[in-house]
Amino acid sequence: MNNQLQPSQQPIFHVRGLTKVYGVGTAEVRALAGVDLDLYAGELVVLLGPSGSGKTTLLNNLGGLDVPTSGTLVYKGADLTQATDAQLTQYRRNTVGFIFQFYNLIPSLTARENVGLITEIAGNPMEPEAALEMVNLSGRLDHFPAQLSGGEQQRVAIARAIAKRPEVLLCDEPTGALDVRTGIVVLEAIQRVNRELGTLTVVITHNAVMAEMADRVVHLSDGRVQSVRTNVQRAPASSLNW
Amino acid sequence: MISYLDRKLWRDLRRMKGQAIAVALVMGCGLAMMIMARSLIHSLESTRREYYEANHFAEVFVQLKRAPNSVASRIGQLPGVAAVQSGISIQVTLDIPGLDEPASGLVRSLPDVGIQQLNRLFLRSGQWLKPGSRDQVLVGEAFASANHLAPGDRIAMLLNGKRQELRIAGIVLSPEFIFESRPGAALPDNRTYGIFWMPYKEVARAFDLDGAFNFLTLTLAPGASEQPVIAEVDRLLRPYGGRGAFGRADHPSHIRVSDESRVLQTISVGFPVVFLGVAAFMTNAVLSRLLNLQREQIAILKAFGFANRHIVIHYLKFALVMVVGGTVLGTVGGILLGGRLVEMYHRFFRFPDLNFRLDRTALPLAIVVSTLAAIVGVFGAVRRAARLPPAEAMRPEPPANYRPALVERTGIGRILSHTFRIAVRNIERRPMQAAFTVAGLALATGILIVPNCFKDGVSEILDFQWDVIQRQDVGIGLVEPSSDQVRHLLRQLPGVITIEPFRQAFVRISFGRQRRQLGIQGLPRGGLHNRVLDESSHQIELPSDGLVVSGKLAEVLGAHVGDFIQVEVLEGKRPVRMVRLAGLAEDFAGVAAYMDLHALNRLLEEGDIISGANFRVDSAQRTEFLRALKGIPRVSWVAIKESLRENFRQTTAASIGLIQTIYMIFAIVVAFGVVYNNARISLAERARELATLRVIGFSRREVGAVLVSELVILAIMAVPLGLLIGTGFATAILRAVNTETVRVPLILTTSNYAFAVLVVTVASTASALVVLRKLNQLNLVGALKAPE
Repeated sequence: MNNQLQPSQQPIFHVRGLTKVYGVGTAEVRALAGVDLDLYAGELVVLLGPSGSGKTTLLNNLGGLDVPTSGTLVYKGADLTQATDAQLTQYRRNTVGFIFQFYNLIPSLTARENVGLITEIAGNPMEPEAALEMVNLSGRLDHFPAQLSGGEQQRVAIARAIAKRPEVLLCDEPTGALDVRTGIVVLEAIQRVNRELGTLTVVITHNAVMAEMADRVVHLSDGRVQSVRTNVQRAPASSLNW
Repeated sequence: MISYLDRKLWRDLRRMKGQAIAVALVMGCGLAMMIMARSLIHSLESTRREYYEANHFAEVFVQLKRAPNSVASRIGQLPGVAAVQSGISIQVTLDIPGLDEPASGLVRSLPDVGIQQLNRLFLRSGQWLKPGSRDQVLVGEAFASANHLAPGDRIAMLLNGKRQELRIAGIVLSPEFIFESRPGAALPDNRTYGIFWMPYKEVARAFDLDGAFNFLTLTLAPGASEQPVIAEVDRLLRPYGGRGAFGRADHPSHIRVSDESRVLQTISVGFPVVFLGVAAFMTNAVLSRLLNLQREQIAILKAFGFANRHIVIHYLKFALVMVVGGTVLGTVGGILLGGRLVEMYHRFFRFPDLNFRLDRTALPLAIVVSTLAAIVGVFGAVRRAARLPPAEAMRPEPPANYRPALVERTGIGRILSHTFRIAVRNIERRPMQAAFTVAGLALATGILIVPNCFKDGVSEILDFQWDVIQRQDVGIGLVEPSSDQVRHLLRQLPGVITIEPFRQAFVRISFGRQRRQLGIQGLPRGGLHNRVLDESSHQIELPSDGLVVSGKLAEVLGAHVGDFIQVEVLEGKRPVRMVRLAGLAEDFAGVAAYMDLHALNRLLEEGDIISGANFRVDSAQRTEFLRALKGIPRVSWVAIKESLRENFRQTTAASIGLIQTIYMIFAIVVAFGVVYNNARISLAERARELATLRVIGFSRREVGAVLVSELVILAIMAVPLGLLIGTGFATAILRAVNTETVRVPLILTTSNYAFAVLVVTVASTASALVVLRKLNQLNLVGALKAPE
């Protein structure tokens, strides 16, 4: 189990003094106020913090959905702050897997097709069936989103995110819309992907209990990193309860 | 004070102004078409009615050889006759300064004292003829303006062989000649054919008709019916060479105006129905989308105690704003288009004052029709929203139910791309929305077919008429039928290559209860000039006895080849014979009957007589030939092919061009509006889905492709349907236009279809591009939040 931080290793993300300001003048909102953070290959990081602390903004910046106002954001030596729109699209297409609170599946495509949509365009994808197998959905390949439960939909979303074999898996409140039991099934899937594929995984949550499954826990507050805690022992998702 | 709910209405409308405008525009097109057509019918018919009343247009007309004026008085005393006007009507040739060829025309006499009882003239400019004046003439406006003649100008006329210089006193209009055209000619040529009025005394003297008349018109007493009067008139005039009386329904100028009204009638119903149908759907689509977006708002309104009624009224107001917009656009558009078309009518129809008159009944009708369309369009959507229990409405809508599309279930699903699958499944889930988008695009394609089909049909007529049937360059008619000897004289004219004589005789043809009056043409067998062709364009060998008639005439009579038809000659010795129908001729204008020249002369019990000739003329000597014709007193009319063709090009062709432009604008509006609406709705409903695609790594172009594939699939379905619909429209309209006066053949060309497809494709593409630009504004981060 890769539960030890290795300081000698080169970080995948190198973040320094990252700020993000929305609006101007009196309407100005400083979502990120100078974040310094390094993220390493294969680790599972949980971002904790109250509403408005900047968790989602940070995740969106890491995922190439948003461009910071100032600061350094380097992914494997590439400066994401200078990337063009087309470069960011390529980055999202090949490098990043997203998992959202509300699944965001394409309602007109089946589970298999929702995953296949990505494997069609990604560089080195796995078979859609294999990705769905990893989240234990082999029996629901040809179901449409409307025919799946919330937990199943979220697991399709995970399969969709990992099918491209991403370097980075970004999850924004992946269990936010789910009950405890279903949430745990989803977290197990995320943990399994992290472990078996060695994907750097960043999970946003309100739920402090989930911090126990992380390698590191980053606390955000008022747009800054307040603390970084390293877990000596990662708890399996199945043991969590809230 | 404006209520808060109405403020919401305005703000919501402002946000979706693009779509509201698209709906209003399509609605406006339908209404414009309706208001235009109905107003034109109203303008033409009311103007004509007033003109007829004010100028005492007659109801029965008859041409005869010659009768003493006392006969006219006797006709005036017939039961059922209100007023009688007799006079002289005679064909003449003219010498117009600046015109190489001789022009021909009809001279009508005016009473020496007092004014006409019937068919009174309207003085456009200049003066009336002064009593006792000599060498003065009134000229019909169409001829005068085609030849730039004004009061005070001089023209030379051959009156019974004598050349006479005349001064134009005034330019006039007559209710008898709203449409000025040489009798029997399918197309008007106002440059070489005109109508003239001179004092009775002068015409009578020139043509030895003192104390006599050869033309009579009458009006019927109130309640009297036409047929018995016509029968009496015919009986009375038989000894005087009466050529058979006829009513307004057979009056050439009257028919032309009525035909136009009938075409407008077809347009005023058919097109608006389709346009408003599409507009109704678009209203429905826009409102459904709005209601989906505002589910929660509706729930809150209901939770706070607004009744369903309030909600329904609130959303109906949306539709009504679009109706008001559409009505305003339609009315303004209808008036503008109608104004342009009335100007166009001035080229064909001569009224003292033809103005665009808005059919006021069309306005309330337009409002009612479009309101109904809008209510039909929104009712279902609004009722659905009002029915929703508030608690349920406050939850986001559950994910839409999809299933594999029909095309996939056939087994070819595997080869389809995901983008394509998304597109076809969306189409199948919203079949009505797809159906109406297809209908809208098909309609746009279809209406483009009509004017081009008309144009192709007319040019086919022209080619057929002037290159296949009439191979002569010039045709002339003689004042009186003359002996065949005159042919030798005519052959001496400069530049004549070939000459073929013809004989024309006025007859009444009857079969069963049907009868028609017309001139039988006697033509040389196997002639090369004026040819009689069958429907496969092969020349018909005119039999040594027997008659060949237009297919249309046989249809009207109900006669078939082999039947015996009664031919009653209305001139000369007036024999009545049964003649076998030997063949059917294909022609596009008027109805005609043909016989072999000798057979006709035998039937007429006359010797070798001709009434005119057709020529082919060496083009190098054309001018000399025409000048020479000017000097031959026996020539009563001259028809020059090139001149007819040129005149046609300037009038009819230009009008078709105008109508084509109107249809094209409508088609573009509909195609643009329908595609815009569909794409905007897709974009709005699926913003989240499309933004998700962007987030997970699709480029803008790839996301655009998802949206565009759907439109392309719909367009591919719409275009063939549109071509089919267009063919149907064209067939229906041509059928409405096709009468005994003119028959436009249905000609459908590849270039016509290609043009329609091109216009619709360009308009749809432009529209889609406008919407695709909105893809840049997709909120990627917003899409990841809770569904709205």
